[in-house]
Amino acid sequence: MHVIGPSSAAAELLQYRQLWWCLTWRDLRVRYKQSLLGIAWAVLIPLSTTLIFAFVFTRAVNVVAAMNLDMPYVLFAYIGLVPWTFFSASLNGCVNSLVANRNLVTKVYFPREVFPLAAIGSSLLDFCAAGTVLAGLLVYYHLVDPGWSYSPPATLLLLPVVLCVQVVLTAGLGMLLAMANLFYRDVRQVFGVAINLWMFVTCVVYPLPADDSVTGWIVAANPMTPIIEGYRNCIIHGELPFTGRFACAAGVSIVMLALGWWWFRRKSHRFAECI
Amino acid sequence: MARYAVRFENVSKQFRRGQIHDSLADWIGAGWGRVQGRGRVGPAQAFWALKDVSFEAAPGEALGIIGPNGAGKSTSLKLLAGILRPDGGQVHVNGRLGALIEVSAGLHGDLTGRENIFLSGAIMGMGRREIDRKLEGIVEFSGLEDFLDTPVKRYSTGMTARLGFSVAAHIDPDVLLVDEVLSVGDVAFRQRCEARMRQLVDGGTTLVFVTHNLEQMRGVCHRTIVLDQGKVTFVGDPGQASERYLRAMMQAGERSYSDCPPGEQMAGEVRDVRFINAAGCDTGIVQADEPATIEITFCLKSAIRRLSVEVSTRRLSGELFVNFNSARQGRWYDAPAGVNRVRVHVPSLPYAGGNYVAFARLWDADRCRVVAESPARYPLVIDDRGQPTGVLALPGTWEPRCEPVPDRAIEAPAGVGV
Repeated sequence: MHVIGPSSAAAELLQYRQLWWCLTWRDLRVRYKQSLLGIAWAVLIPLSTTLIFAFVFTRAVNVVAAMNLDMPYVLFAYIGLVPWTFFSASLNGCVNSLVANRNLVTKVYFPREVFPLAAIGSSLLDFCAAGTVLAGLLVYYHLVDPGWSYSPPATLLLLPVVLCVQVVLTAGLGMLLAMANLFYRDVRQVFGVAINLWMFVTCVVYPLPADDSVTGWIVAANPMTPIIEGYRNCIIHGELPFTGRFACAAGVSIVMLALGWWWFRRKSHRFAECI
Repeated sequence: MARYAVRFENVSKQFRRGQIHDSLADWIGAGWGRVQGRGRVGPAQAFWALKDVSFEAAPGEALGIIGPNGAGKSTSLKLLAGILRPDGGQVHVNGRLGALIEVSAGLHGDLTGRENIFLSGAIMGMGRREIDRKLEGIVEFSGLEDFLDTPVKRYSTGMTARLGFSVAAHIDPDVLLVDEVLSVGDVAFRQRCEARMRQLVDGGTTLVFVTHNLEQMRGVCHRTIVLDQGKVTFVGDPGQASERYLRAMMQAGERSYSDCPPGEQMAGEVRDVRFINAAGCDTGIVQADEPATIEITFCLKSAIRRLSVEVSTRRLSGELFVNFNSARQGRWYDAPAGVNRVRVHVPSLPYAGGNYVAFARLWDADRCRVVAESPARYPLVIDDRGQPTGVLALPGTWEPRCEPVPDRAIEAPAGVGV
């Protein structure tokens, strides 16, 4: 039977976890096939972006001092950029996931959520690879920077919680974007611009004040800011990530996933005709 | 066990022609057009690919679906596979479903053959362990042992299809949907696919098989549905079904096998080609071993002094089969303007039993040009009083008994024998 109630949607998806893994692996494999550096790119992209911002903010215009950071700028930016790269690369993969798999969408049946989720999966593996390099950076600055020392706090164990919230948010948005792009290809273009803008209203490469100004309001409404602050709290500050704003972000993420998934399933029977 | 494995209950599916907004600009444009009162999406834009179609297949039954292009065959399969959802009625499938709708859909060019087996297996619903277990069989079936570590983008079309089908053939589904995938690959592979389908059906799998190849359909299916313009026009015996299909094709004047595009400046027109059997019936059904007459009716705009007439028959799979040409017997007709008829008598039509289509061509020998050519749409059904095998049904008389002969292997010196 093809008529599937909402309660069994998750069960059906669980049945196809093998396929999810295969598609994740395929995306990853294809991304680094015929490339000399392979998976090293997963590290090089956030690392080189970090170095660019480090150059801009310390050499071109020296504003790092004004940021009042309690850690070396490179660490600050890298801890921001790794999750951010995961977020933006996942969404970018999601936007194209259905359209790029047109063959499968029109010829084979399985829950279509697998496509955006596989896009997230392959970026997640990149994220893990980039994350391991962070350990090296922490050790390096601990040894080299006389004004800063590091000992791993217990809150590192809470990193999966932060990651989980981020994945939930990404999955919800990803499903909406994948579906929207299937119906209107403009979504991809708009997304390209929007994701750039989004990075600069998130505390990725500089801290953002949450005050009463318009900027402050945007920052407060942006669920990615508390998520990225959560990573810094867990890794550097040794503080619990569960601030009020983080709870809000978690709430927004869950609502986003529920809405995205519900809408995606509602429309998924039209995908094969409209793609 | 359920009474049916597959069931269509008054299923309808509507598609829309045009007016699919690919970009926001289109959408705004269409909206603006609507505001201005033009570009309205009328009911004419929608058409029914399937209308109120009902059928079912019992467990273990092989059901064929045939019909001209656009009849709704592939739509039916996609509805069964769950890729499309019906606009009306209900589709039921009992058991694990395997679909060979496009076997190479899941393959990725950058991955190797082996990697693709796992990917494509997962797409078709196999678990990792299941594929591990079947890997050897899949590789052997595909005959691609030497290319397993080559990226699929370097495969030929036939090899790609073989890889895809080999994985698909190992799904062990309860219900298998097959859509015209067997037209690729060489003859040996095609036979292996057919054998595999039969094997699955014998093992209790329900098969739903969409094809244009009527011979293949008759070889595999127990029962056949003829679809035409979204409606079921016939359900029953595969032989009768292919005859119905041929008639529908003749009426619709389908030109899929025609060599020559219809020209407006033709000097004439083929009106009819009929096959008349020994009993004088022009139903188009002829016994292979009896004499027959082919009658060609044509119309000329002006008189032609040296006209040659040619009738060809094709197999439904498309190959040209037999050609009768009056010029080859040194026969040219002095034909007046208007409707004419010419006949050719044949002592027998020893074709293998089955369905053929005929077409005729008129040739003006003085001006060296084609006067008229019909599309291949005139049906010929040959009854060879037996199973359809091979190409020709030549008469042969079997001796009443077999006799023993000395075996050379036994006579050979010990140790050398087989």
